[in-house]
Amino acid sequence: MSNAVASEHGHPTVAWPPDAQYGMATPGKIGMWIFLISDAFSFGGLLIAEGILYAGRHPWRQPGEPELGIFFTAVLTFVLVSTSLTNVLGWAAAAAGRRKQAALLLGLTAFGGVAFLVGQFQEWFGIRGHGLLREGLVFGQSPRASTFYVITGYHGLHVLIGVAYILAILVGYLRHRVTERQIELLGLYWCFVDFVWVFIFSFVYLLPSLSGA
Amino acid sequence: MSEKETLQPAASSVAHVREARERIPYLVAFAILIVLTLVEIGVARSGGIPHRAAVVALITIAIAKAALIALFYMHLRYETRILKLTVLGPLVAPAVYALLLMLDAARRHAP
Repeated sequence: MSNAVASEHGHPTVAWPPDAQYGMATPGKIGMWIFLISDAFSFGGLLIAEGILYAGRHPWRQPGEPELGIFFTAVLTFVLVSTSLTNVLGWAAAAAGRRKQAALLLGLTAFGGVAFLVGQFQEWFGIRGHGLLREGLVFGQSPRASTFYVITGYHGLHVLIGVAYILAILVGYLRHRVTERQIELLGLYWCFVDFVWVFIFSFVYLLPSLSGA
Repeated sequence: MSEKETLQPAASSVAHVREARERIPYLVAFAILIVLTLVEIGVARSGGIPHRAAVVALITIAIAKAALIALFYMHLRYETRILKLTVLGPLVAPAVYALLLMLDAARRHAP
Protein backbone atom coordinates (compact mmCIF):
# COMPACT_ATOMS: atom_id res chain seq x y z
CA MET A 1 0.00 0.00 0.00
CA SER A 2 1.49 3.33 -0.99
CA ASN A 3 1.77 6.18 1.49
CA ALA A 4 -0.87 8.17 -0.41
CA VAL A 5 -3.36 5.30 -0.38
CA ALA A 6 -2.57 4.61 3.30
CA SER A 7 -3.33 8.24 4.15
CA GLU A 8 -6.60 8.15 2.20
CA HIS A 9 -7.73 5.17 4.28
CA GLY A 10 -6.78 6.82 7.53
CA HIS A 11 -3.74 4.66 8.23
CA PRO A 12 -0.58 6.34 9.45
CA THR A 13 2.29 6.30 6.95
CA VAL A 14 5.15 4.16 8.19
CA ALA A 15 8.61 3.38 6.89
CA TRP A 16 9.06 -0.25 5.83
CA PRO A 17 10.66 -1.98 8.81
CA PRO A 18 14.04 -3.65 8.22
CA ASP A 19 13.71 -7.42 7.93
CA ALA A 20 16.21 -9.87 9.40
CA GLN A 21 16.74 -11.56 6.01
CA TYR A 22 15.82 -8.97 3.41
CA GLY A 23 16.90 -5.76 5.18
CA MET A 24 15.16 -2.67 3.78
CA ALA A 25 13.94 -4.41 0.61
CA THR A 26 10.20 -3.82 0.30
CA PRO A 27 7.74 -6.53 -0.81
CA GLY A 28 7.52 -4.61 -4.10
CA LYS A 29 11.25 -4.93 -4.65
CA ILE A 30 11.32 -8.63 -3.72
CA GLY A 31 8.34 -9.19 -6.02
CA MET A 32 10.08 -7.39 -8.88
CA TRP A 33 13.20 -9.50 -8.37
CA ILE A 34 11.14 -12.71 -8.44
CA PHE A 35 9.46 -11.56 -11.67
CA LEU A 36 12.86 -10.74 -13.18
CA ILE A 37 14.25 -14.16 -12.24
CA SER A 38 11.31 -15.86 -13.96
CA ASP A 39 11.77 -13.60 -16.97
CA ALA A 40 15.46 -14.47 -17.03
CA PHE A 41 14.45 -18.13 -17.33
CA SER A 42 12.44 -17.25 -20.46
CA PHE A 43 15.47 -15.61 -22.04
CA GLY A 44 17.73 -18.41 -20.76
CA GLY A 45 15.46 -20.97 -22.41
CA LEU A 46 15.54 -19.10 -25.73
CA LEU A 47 19.33 -18.71 -25.68
CA ILE A 48 19.83 -22.39 -24.76
CA ALA A 49 17.47 -23.38 -27.59
CA GLU A 50 19.56 -21.27 -29.96
CA GLY A 51 22.72 -22.94 -28.63
CA ILE A 52 21.31 -26.43 -29.22
CA LEU A 53 20.24 -25.53 -32.77
CA TYR A 54 23.61 -23.88 -33.41
CA ALA A 55 25.51 -26.96 -32.24
CA GLY A 56 23.53 -29.22 -34.55
CA ARG A 57 23.54 -27.09 -37.69
CA HIS A 58 26.68 -26.60 -39.77
CA PRO A 59 26.99 -24.19 -41.42
CA TRP A 60 24.87 -22.00 -39.12
CA ARG A 61 24.58 -19.23 -41.72
CA GLN A 62 22.79 -20.55 -44.79
CA PRO A 63 23.80 -19.50 -48.32
CA GLY A 64 22.18 -16.17 -49.24
CA GLU A 65 21.69 -15.08 -45.65
CA PRO A 66 23.23 -11.73 -44.68
CA GLU A 67 25.85 -11.19 -42.00
CA LEU A 68 24.60 -9.47 -38.82
CA GLY A 69 25.77 -5.88 -38.40
CA ILE A 70 27.98 -6.13 -35.33
CA PHE A 71 29.18 -2.52 -35.38
CA PHE A 72 25.63 -1.19 -35.74
CA THR A 73 24.49 -3.42 -32.89
CA ALA A 74 27.44 -2.23 -30.80
CA VAL A 75 26.04 1.31 -31.16
CA LEU A 76 22.65 0.02 -29.95
CA THR A 77 24.47 -1.61 -27.03
CA PHE A 78 26.07 1.73 -26.20
CA VAL A 79 22.64 3.39 -26.29
CA LEU A 80 21.13 0.77 -23.97
CA VAL A 81 24.03 0.87 -21.49
CA SER A 82 23.76 4.69 -21.46
CA THR A 83 20.07 4.44 -20.56
CA SER A 84 20.93 2.21 -17.59
CA LEU A 85 23.23 5.00 -16.40
CA THR A 86 20.67 7.77 -16.94
CA ASN A 87 18.05 5.62 -15.20
CA VAL A 88 20.12 5.00 -12.09
CA LEU A 89 21.23 8.64 -11.96
CA GLY A 90 17.55 9.61 -12.28
CA TRP A 91 16.74 7.45 -9.27
CA ALA A 92 19.65 8.98 -7.31
CA ALA A 93 18.40 12.47 -8.19
CA ALA A 94 14.86 11.55 -7.09
CA ALA A 95 16.20 10.11 -3.82
CA ALA A 96 18.08 13.39 -3.23
CA GLY A 97 14.94 15.41 -3.97
CA ARG A 98 16.24 16.96 -7.21
CA ARG A 99 12.96 16.55 -9.01
CA LYS A 100 13.72 18.43 -12.25
CA GLN A 101 16.96 16.54 -12.77
CA ALA A 102 15.25 13.23 -11.99
CA ALA A 103 12.48 13.94 -14.50
CA LEU A 104 15.00 14.98 -17.16
CA LEU A 105 17.06 11.81 -16.66
CA LEU A 106 13.97 9.59 -16.79
CA GLY A 107 12.95 11.37 -19.99
CA LEU A 108 16.40 10.75 -21.44
CA THR A 109 16.11 7.07 -20.50
CA ALA A 110 12.80 6.79 -22.35
CA PHE A 111 14.32 8.60 -25.34
CA GLY A 112 17.23 6.14 -25.36
CA GLY A 113 14.77 3.26 -25.28
CA VAL A 114 12.92 4.68 -28.28
CA ALA A 115 16.26 5.18 -30.08
CA PHE A 116 17.09 1.52 -29.44
CA LEU A 117 13.73 0.44 -30.88
CA VAL A 118 14.21 2.62 -33.95
CA GLY A 119 17.64 1.03 -34.38
CA GLN A 120 16.15 -2.44 -34.14
CA PHE A 121 13.47 -1.49 -36.67
CA GLN A 122 16.24 -0.28 -38.98
CA GLU A 123 18.10 -3.56 -38.51
CA TRP A 124 15.05 -5.70 -39.28
CA PHE A 125 13.21 -3.72 -41.95
CA GLY A 126 15.59 -0.96 -43.05
CA ILE A 127 14.54 2.69 -42.76
CA ARG A 128 17.62 3.62 -44.78
CA GLY A 129 18.81 0.87 -47.08
CA HIS A 130 17.75 -2.76 -46.86
CA GLY A 131 16.94 -4.42 -43.57
CA LEU A 132 17.90 -8.01 -42.72
CA LEU A 133 14.48 -9.25 -43.86
CA ARG A 134 14.90 -7.96 -47.43
CA GLU A 135 18.52 -9.08 -47.47
CA GLY A 136 17.42 -12.69 -47.03
CA LEU A 137 17.21 -13.39 -43.30
CA VAL A 138 13.61 -14.59 -43.38
CA PHE A 139 11.78 -15.93 -40.32
CA GLY A 140 11.07 -19.64 -40.63
CA GLN A 141 13.59 -20.31 -43.38
CA SER A 142 16.47 -21.34 -41.12
CA PRO A 143 17.11 -21.92 -37.40
CA ARG A 144 19.47 -18.92 -37.49
CA ALA A 145 16.76 -16.61 -38.82
CA SER A 146 14.02 -17.92 -36.53
CA THR A 147 16.06 -17.76 -33.34
CA PHE A 148 17.36 -14.31 -34.30
CA TYR A 149 13.89 -12.82 -34.75
CA VAL A 150 12.35 -14.60 -31.74
CA ILE A 151 15.14 -13.61 -29.32
CA THR A 152 15.68 -10.02 -30.49
CA GLY A 153 11.91 -9.57 -30.91
CA TYR A 154 11.21 -10.81 -27.38
CA HIS A 155 13.87 -8.42 -26.08
CA GLY A 156 12.47 -5.57 -28.19
CA LEU A 157 9.05 -6.22 -26.65
CA HIS A 158 10.65 -5.80 -23.23
CA VAL A 159 12.19 -2.49 -24.34
CA LEU A 160 8.80 -1.31 -25.66
CA ILE A 161 7.09 -2.22 -22.38
CA GLY A 162 9.97 -0.57 -20.52
CA VAL A 163 9.52 2.71 -22.42
CA ALA A 164 5.78 2.69 -21.59
CA TYR A 165 6.66 1.91 -17.95
CA ILE A 166 9.16 4.80 -17.79
CA LEU A 167 6.67 7.24 -19.31
CA ALA A 168 3.94 6.13 -16.86
CA ILE A 169 6.31 6.57 -13.91
CA LEU A 170 7.53 9.91 -15.27
CA VAL A 171 3.98 11.26 -15.56
CA GLY A 172 3.21 10.01 -12.04
CA TYR A 173 6.41 11.58 -10.73
CA LEU A 174 5.59 14.94 -12.30
CA ARG A 175 2.15 14.75 -10.64
CA HIS A 176 3.76 13.89 -7.27
CA ARG A 177 2.11 10.48 -7.23
CA VAL A 178 5.30 8.44 -7.53
CA THR A 179 8.12 8.09 -5.02
CA GLU A 180 11.79 7.24 -5.53
CA ARG A 181 11.00 3.67 -4.40
CA GLN A 182 8.78 3.18 -7.43
CA ILE A 183 11.51 4.71 -9.59
CA GLU A 184 13.93 2.16 -8.14
CA LEU A 185 11.56 -0.68 -9.09
CA LEU A 186 11.36 0.75 -12.60
CA GLY A 187 15.18 0.84 -12.61
CA LEU A 188 15.33 -2.85 -11.73
CA TYR A 189 13.17 -3.70 -14.74
CA TRP A 190 14.96 -1.35 -17.12
CA CYS A 191 18.46 -2.46 -16.13
CA PHE A 192 17.32 -6.08 -16.47
CA VAL A 193 16.57 -5.30 -20.12
CA ASP A 194 20.20 -4.17 -20.42
CA PHE A 195 21.39 -7.21 -18.41
CA VAL A 196 19.70 -9.58 -20.87
CA TRP A 197 20.96 -7.65 -23.89
CA VAL A 198 24.54 -8.30 -22.77
CA PHE A 199 23.97 -12.04 -23.31
CA ILE A 200 21.98 -11.55 -26.53
CA PHE A 201 24.79 -9.43 -27.98
CA SER A 202 27.31 -12.15 -27.14
CA PHE A 203 25.32 -15.28 -28.00
CA VAL A 204 23.33 -14.06 -31.03
CA TYR A 205 25.78 -11.62 -32.62
CA LEU A 206 29.37 -12.15 -31.47
CA LEU A 207 29.84 -15.89 -30.82
CA PRO A 208 28.34 -17.10 -34.14
CA SER A 209 30.45 -14.47 -35.96
CA LEU A 210 33.60 -16.31 -34.82
CA SER A 211 32.78 -19.06 -37.31
CA GLY A 212 31.76 -16.62 -40.03
CA ALA A 213 27.99 -16.60 -39.35
CA MET B 1 24.88 35.92 11.34
CA SER B 2 23.50 33.01 13.37
CA GLU B 3 25.35 29.70 13.72
CA LYS B 4 22.62 28.01 11.66
CA GLU B 5 23.04 30.46 8.79
CA THR B 6 26.80 29.99 8.89
CA LEU B 7 26.57 26.22 8.81
CA GLN B 8 23.86 25.88 6.16
CA PRO B 9 26.01 26.54 3.05
CA ALA B 10 28.72 24.25 4.36
CA ALA B 11 26.20 21.48 5.04
CA SER B 12 24.76 21.98 1.55
CA SER B 13 28.24 21.76 0.08
CA VAL B 14 28.92 18.54 2.01
CA ALA B 15 25.66 17.09 0.71
CA HIS B 16 26.65 17.97 -2.87
CA VAL B 17 30.07 16.36 -2.43
CA ARG B 18 28.45 13.22 -0.96
CA GLU B 19 25.95 13.05 -3.83
CA ALA B 20 28.75 13.50 -6.37
CA ARG B 21 30.75 10.73 -4.69
CA GLU B 22 27.72 8.43 -4.75
CA ARG B 23 27.55 8.86 -8.51
CA ILE B 24 31.17 7.76 -9.04
CA PRO B 25 30.52 3.97 -8.90
CA TYR B 26 27.79 4.35 -11.56
CA LEU B 27 30.09 6.33 -13.86
CA VAL B 28 33.01 3.94 -13.34
CA ALA B 29 30.72 0.95 -14.05
CA PHE B 30 29.56 2.70 -17.25
CA ALA B 31 33.15 3.29 -18.39
CA ILE B 32 34.08 -0.35 -17.72
CA LEU B 33 30.98 -1.56 -19.59
CA ILE B 34 31.92 0.49 -22.64
CA VAL B 35 35.55 -0.68 -22.55
CA LEU B 36 34.45 -4.32 -22.19
CA THR B 37 32.07 -3.93 -25.15
CA LEU B 38 34.93 -2.61 -27.27
CA VAL B 39 37.13 -5.53 -26.14
CA GLU B 40 34.31 -7.93 -27.12
CA ILE B 41 34.17 -6.48 -30.61
CA GLY B 42 37.96 -6.65 -30.85
CA VAL B 43 37.94 -10.32 -29.84
CA ALA B 44 35.13 -11.17 -32.27
CA ARG B 45 36.68 -9.28 -35.19
CA SER B 46 40.44 -9.75 -34.71
CA GLY B 47 40.59 -13.21 -36.29
CA GLY B 48 43.99 -13.89 -34.75
CA ILE B 49 42.69 -15.41 -31.52
CA PRO B 50 42.20 -19.21 -31.35
CA HIS B 51 38.49 -20.10 -31.58
CA ARG B 52 38.18 -21.70 -28.13
CA ALA B 53 40.05 -18.84 -26.44
CA ALA B 54 37.78 -16.33 -28.17
CA VAL B 55 34.64 -18.23 -27.04
CA VAL B 56 35.88 -18.37 -23.43
CA ALA B 57 36.83 -14.66 -23.56
CA LEU B 58 33.44 -13.57 -24.95
CA ILE B 59 31.47 -15.61 -22.39
CA THR B 60 33.66 -14.35 -19.52
CA ILE B 61 33.27 -10.72 -20.63
CA ALA B 62 29.49 -11.14 -20.99
CA ILE B 63 29.25 -12.52 -17.43
CA ALA B 64 31.46 -9.68 -16.13
CA LYS B 65 29.29 -7.06 -17.86
CA ALA B 66 26.06 -8.63 -16.57
CA ALA B 67 27.53 -8.77 -13.04
CA LEU B 68 28.41 -5.06 -13.21
CA ILE B 69 24.87 -4.17 -14.24
CA ALA B 70 23.29 -6.36 -11.54
CA LEU B 71 25.64 -5.26 -8.76
CA PHE B 72 25.74 -1.52 -9.43
CA TYR B 73 22.79 -0.46 -11.59
CA MET B 74 20.35 -2.94 -10.03
CA HIS B 75 21.82 -2.26 -6.56
CA LEU B 76 22.34 -5.94 -5.76
CA ARG B 77 25.69 -5.01 -4.22
CA TYR B 78 23.88 -3.09 -1.49
CA GLU B 79 21.28 -5.79 -0.69
CA THR B 80 21.45 -8.42 2.05
CA ARG B 81 23.19 -11.75 1.50
CA ILE B 82 19.84 -13.59 1.49
CA LEU B 83 18.43 -11.37 -1.28
CA LYS B 84 21.63 -11.83 -3.30
CA LEU B 85 21.30 -15.61 -2.95
CA THR B 86 17.58 -15.45 -3.79
CA VAL B 87 18.45 -13.74 -7.07
CA LEU B 88 21.73 -15.38 -8.03
CA GLY B 89 20.97 -18.93 -6.85
CA PRO B 90 18.31 -19.75 -9.45
CA LEU B 91 20.34 -18.11 -12.23
CA VAL B 92 23.20 -20.57 -11.68
CA ALA B 93 21.04 -23.53 -12.80
CA PRO B 94 20.49 -22.45 -16.46
CA ALA B 95 24.11 -21.27 -16.63
CA VAL B 96 25.38 -24.72 -15.58
CA TYR B 97 22.95 -26.36 -18.01
CA ALA B 98 24.18 -24.12 -20.84
CA LEU B 99 27.80 -24.85 -19.95
CA LEU B 100 27.20 -28.63 -20.03
CA LEU B 101 25.51 -28.31 -23.43
CA MET B 102 28.42 -26.27 -24.78
CA LEU B 103 30.96 -28.80 -23.50
CA ASP B 104 28.92 -31.61 -25.05
CA ALA B 105 28.72 -29.79 -28.38
CA ALA B 106 32.47 -29.08 -28.30
CA ARG B 107 33.21 -32.77 -27.60
CA ARG B 108 30.94 -34.01 -30.41
CA HIS B 109 32.36 -31.58 -32.97
CA ALA B 110 35.99 -32.06 -31.93
CA PRO B 111 38.16 -33.36 -34.80
